Amino acid sequence: MSQDRALSGRLEQLLAGLLHHGTLGACAVVAAGLALAFWSTEGMRVATAGIALFILLPVVRVGVMLVFFLRVRDHRYAAIAALVLLILSISFLVGARWGQA
Amino acid sequence: MQIGMESWLFVAALGTSMLGGVLGMASGIFIVPILTMFARIDIHTAVGASLVSVIACSCASAAPFLKERLTDIRLAILLETATTAGALCGVFLAGLIPAKYLFFLFAFILLLSAQQMLARRREAAPQRDVSHPVRRVPLGMTLMYGAGLISALLGIGSGVLKIPAMDTALRLPIKVSSATSNFMIGVTAAASAAAYFARGEIITAVAAPIALGSVAGAVLGARILIAVPAQRLRLMFIGILVMLAAQMMLAAFGIQLIGPAS
Repeated sequence: MSQDRALSGRLEQLLAGLLHHGTLGACAVVAAGLALAFWSTEGMRVATAGIALFILLPVVRVGVMLVFFLRVRDHRYAAIAALVLLILSISFLVGARWGQA
Repeated sequence: MQIGMESWLFVAALGTSMLGGVLGMASGIFIVPILTMFARIDIHTAVGASLVSVIACSCASAAPFLKERLTDIRLAILLETATTAGALCGVFLAGLIPAKYLFFLFAFILLLSAQQMLARRREAAPQRDVSHPVRRVPLGMTLMYGAGLISALLGIGSGVLKIPAMDTALRLPIKVSSATSNFMIGVTAAASAAAYFARGEIITAVAAPIALGSVAGAVLGARILIAVPAQRLRLMFIGILVMLAAQMMLAAFGIQLIGPAS
């Protein structure tokens, strides 16, 4: 049990680092894009990439959790994380389909 | 002209987010009313932009909670299956429900938030046992599904629905339920934002300045100590919520009081 707690402690640190640096990175890209937009039309495309980074960040977070649960052989939670990833992918695919229609 | 609007959106998001941060409340609920009523932006565009800023704020504020070990990660991922499934259904519904009903629903959620703020003012948070037994998971899952659905429809984090769901159905201590709710909000909003993004319904010129302003405001707001007493600020906040609810209700009937004459 104490080993279990230590393990999830590591996952918490991992996720905290990912979300902190990911937010900084995405913010930097969006800010750079908006600044660039004053001079060139490319700026908006950079900002759009930054927005994509923001949307991807929680998806990556679930991916990291899936890998972690697999490595500690917690199959039940690995399956739950995989299910969340599946729903996230379906959502993206459904959106892409509708966009073309 | 366009650059001017972007700066305006940035400042508006910064201001509301700072106010929210001072009170420890997510400001996502203000973005859609501001965009639709003051900037006259279409409600679907406003929802898309708001979702991006909701994700950004959730991710930006998650790290300290995780480090303090207040977030129940396993419970979060379990409940996320329900919130993301709800969000997916919300994306389908958003295309079918007329804007009029979205305004009604939004007004209702605004009033619910006001009522919650008022309740929090009256009672000091009851401290429960730290070793929290998680109970009534099926009820919790059902409520979370609803929270995800509302989140996708209205572009809000639905913390206003998630926290009471965890309080009542799962009996978590308030600090744990806030941290866990905040952690889940990012993934929930990503489920619907991904669909809107793929559909090309997230307009960068609107979403980018709003997201940036919200994150900056949330970070600043959490650090600023203000001279105004928290109680008075809270009352002002409740007043704004009720006012916006009335505005949204009028907008549902096609009446605009504030904003430039069309």
